[in-house]
Amino acid sequence: MNSRSYGQAAAPQGRWAGRSLNVDIGLLFIVVLLSIFGLAALYSASDGDSALIQRQAAITGLGVVAMLVVAQLDLRLVQRFALHIYLGGLALLALVLAFGVEANGARSWLDLPGLPSFQPSELMKFVVPGMLAAYLASQPLPPRFPRILVAGLLVLLPAGLIVLQNDLGTAMLVAMAGFFVLLLAGMSLRLIAFGGLLALLASPVWFLFYAQEHQKNRIRSFVDPYNDPAGAGYNIIQSQIAIGSGGVTGKGFGEGDQSRLDFIPESHTDFIFAVIAEEFGLAGALILIGLFALLLWRGLRIAVNAGDMFARLLAGGIVLIVFFNVYVNMAMVIGLLPVIGLPLPLISRGGTAIVAFFIGFGLLMSIGADSRKGAARNR
Amino acid sequence: MTSRWKFRDHEAEGRMFNRRLNLVLFFIFLMLATLVVKLVDLQVMQYEYFAARSDGNRLHVQYVPPERGLIYDRAGALIADNTPVYSLTIVPEEVDDLEATLDYLAGLVSLDADDIETFDDQLRRSRVPYSSVPLRYVLTEEEKYRVAVNGHRMPGVRMEPQLMRHYPFADLTAHAVGYVSHINQQELDALDETEFENYGGTTHIGKTGVERTYEHLLHGQVGYETVEKNNRGRVTRVLERTEAIRGRDIVLHLDYRLQQVAVEALGDYRGAVVAIEPASGGILAMVSKPGFDPNLFVTGISNRDYSALVTDEINTPLFDRSTNPYPPGSTIKPVLGLAGLHFGHIDYEFTIMDPGWFRLPGVSYRWNNWTMRTAIGGGHGETDLRKAIYQSSDTFFYQLGHTMGIDQIHDFMSLFGFGDNLALDINYARTGVLPSRDWKMETRGEPWYPGDTINSSIGQGYMWATPLQLATAAAVIANEGRMVRPRMLKSVAGELWDFPEQDSVPDVLLEDPDYWRYMRDAMTMVVHRPYSNVFRDYGTAYEYTARADPDMNYLLAGKTGTAQVVGIDQSIRSSEDIRVSDLNKDHALFIAFAPAAHPVIAPRIALAVFVENGESGSAVAGPVAKRISDAWLLDILGLDLEVEPAAESTAASRVSE
Repeated sequence: MNSRSYGQAAAPQGRWAGRSLNVDIGLLFIVVLLSIFGLAALYSASDGDSALIQRQAAITGLGVVAMLVVAQLDLRLVQRFALHIYLGGLALLALVLAFGVEANGARSWLDLPGLPSFQPSELMKFVVPGMLAAYLASQPLPPRFPRILVAGLLVLLPAGLIVLQNDLGTAMLVAMAGFFVLLLAGMSLRLIAFGGLLALLASPVWFLFYAQEHQKNRIRSFVDPYNDPAGAGYNIIQSQIAIGSGGVTGKGFGEGDQSRLDFIPESHTDFIFAVIAEEFGLAGALILIGLFALLLWRGLRIAVNAGDMFARLLAGGIVLIVFFNVYVNMAMVIGLLPVIGLPLPLISRGGTAIVAFFIGFGLLMSIGADSRKGAARNR
Repeated sequence: MTSRWKFRDHEAEGRMFNRRLNLVLFFIFLMLATLVVKLVDLQVMQYEYFAARSDGNRLHVQYVPPERGLIYDRAGALIADNTPVYSLTIVPEEVDDLEATLDYLAGLVSLDADDIETFDDQLRRSRVPYSSVPLRYVLTEEEKYRVAVNGHRMPGVRMEPQLMRHYPFADLTAHAVGYVSHINQQELDALDETEFENYGGTTHIGKTGVERTYEHLLHGQVGYETVEKNNRGRVTRVLERTEAIRGRDIVLHLDYRLQQVAVEALGDYRGAVVAIEPASGGILAMVSKPGFDPNLFVTGISNRDYSALVTDEINTPLFDRSTNPYPPGSTIKPVLGLAGLHFGHIDYEFTIMDPGWFRLPGVSYRWNNWTMRTAIGGGHGETDLRKAIYQSSDTFFYQLGHTMGIDQIHDFMSLFGFGDNLALDINYARTGVLPSRDWKMETRGEPWYPGDTINSSIGQGYMWATPLQLATAAAVIANEGRMVRPRMLKSVAGELWDFPEQDSVPDVLLEDPDYWRYMRDAMTMVVHRPYSNVFRDYGTAYEYTARADPDMNYLLAGKTGTAQVVGIDQSIRSSEDIRVSDLNKDHALFIAFAPAAHPVIAPRIALAVFVENGESGSAVAGPVAKRISDAWLLDILGLDLEVEPAAESTAASRVSE
């Protein structure tokens, strides 16, 4: 990207030439490893569908490019334009509501002329923490109650729009992204506990009066999958059979009977972790979890070392939302949580979601560069 | 950059952030721990259970149905074959819009309301998910092509190959050979445990005829294979296979050419023909006309076709006339004549004066010699047993029957298989009725009256016999008393089939074996005794058989029979004027064997012809018998029947002496 346009001083040529590319090698290494893991799992899950693999590889490549481009952005620019970006995101969500295209039950795709179709909601997972971090960091922390209310509105507005798209999983992620920023910003734990209690009390009401039938079924089959083994409980039962039969070492690459014979539902997307656990066993699953843990560790280190609260909150929000997404997906696939339609970051087949994650990692790299610059300045 | 917020305590904010991060890390650690614990639980603690579940998901033991044994005729013609056919099936789970798919298919293949109804029935029943439901059997080449070309537009629609029983001669062998059709629940329930297992992959079972009788030989032994199936029930690979053992090929005594001749000879008449090889008891032909196409039953006959078959009350194509009983009429006279000789009631010299009627002592009712419906009236004059046979004198047999009594008639005729089913492998054949005092008391609750005996003496009244029984009796006479039980099966896998029970019925031993020769000559005269200047002294069948064929070079022994269909008062019966509907016309019968009295060649065929409502045993049934006999001896066996002139004159002299 052309950094001269917002450069402060110095000779353009020398500045550009003398400046090294902002790349966090460790982070790059981890995400590339994860992407390769994902491509391998997808290869197996799709029974070697080369068109699918090529598409996924191309999107991953695009994501890496997007990550590197975003990494070069000046973090302060992001901070300054956080509101504009946020409003732009809201506008896109509104466009989706008006002109959105439906796929897999969710009306979340936007098919603008001249652009490949994409899901604005996926981008909001990182736009919302950016907005919140900028808003909260603009005043002393911890935030007072009125600011928490405003922050809550800033979160609930896009989340609500995404709910209207019938994409509860993503809406929850966006809301959680906002919550993580608030949590890290020092929002009163009492308030959080109070909110949690309120949610706990409200959930039976929701289940009884507001939940849709398929949502109720998901909850029921989470409690007892064998109540309806061929219907609502089928996915989780088959998924557990795949994982359990993988054993410690797995059945081997391409040898997963459950995935090869299509017993695993949604094996390309939400349940791809079951494919990995079947073919690579406990060992493979732990390696994958370990890679995500490394990603977490690397991201949190960037957050801790960040130069100011905006950078910290943004970095922490990005890292936590990625981890939360990973955890919810895995917990759902192994039967620790009800089935929630969320893919596994970087592993599941995807388009906008993958590029969005890479943009998130790009922001992390940008934050890392900013804190190095800050450290250099302070020296 | 933080100049606007100089009063902010960055240090404190940083510490707070780190505290919050530590709190989050604590939860993250807990969450990771739950993941790991659950994974260890699934993949280590419960590994065996889930591994078994996974195998249970994909591995299926399925049956490999054996190929059914083929059925050949004695000349090696294939009577029951297995041909590959393609069925159209649908996997409902893979179809988006069943209604639209069916509509679309109706444009490609012919689908009638029956097909749809059967399909809907099977759809409603509980079934394995992703299993295919048959919609149409036996697609034509054209239909196969159209489905193949348009298949991609119809997910869930498949064509499945299958070996299907095929009867190339269709209605020609329908009754004798029978057919296979879908196993029904009753048949499954009737199987014992091992049989049930053996029929695991079998869809069809022999329902009638040879197909049913020899089901145990034809079926074979089921095989097994362990296959891997995917989530949609499609087999992805075969892991282990125990081959099925093919059913055994069997050869029948039947000759399809003789079947053809018999069907043609019957012409437009309904009726039956049973031809037996006297030496072996092998059934050379067994025809019931009209037949039906057994192939319809293999694929599942449509309601329309089936009701067409069962509602035809006149032709009753499904009814096997060859093994069902009718009044045998005069065709039993040779047996009764032999009984008279055997028991000593008559001898060769015994004669009666036949006035054309008979009256029991002290009874005013007159039994007419009703086969002669001529205005001339009168009888045969002086009549001995031989003339009573070739002229078919009822009066003679009324009197003989009266003299013998029903007990002797019953005992003697049972030696020939009347009232019993002597066939070794036609267990569905009816036994008819060989009446006796006990039988009447049991079934009617009435004592036997002398008049019953008179009716029985000419094969009427209570006396009922199947064409199969009549052919058997003819074979016993041809064999001069040697009993050969009728049989369909000739050999299995090249080995002649041995019936252990074939000798359980004794031969017929007469007081004087010459009686056989005597009766044979009398029966020969039925066909060959020419017209002479003596009134009523020709064979009853002469005009339509031997006279119609001056080149006939062998002797055919026979006996005509004309059986009353409905009880019409005897006084009206003899009147010419009576107009009887076609269905009330008499049945025409003929029993025969040939060559008779040949110096070298023993009789090679014994047969019974039954022509329903054929009216005349001599004019209608006789020529049918001759044509079949000609075809067998001359065309099929190609026998050289010309005899030495000396021997010929002896044989001829027997006829016209």
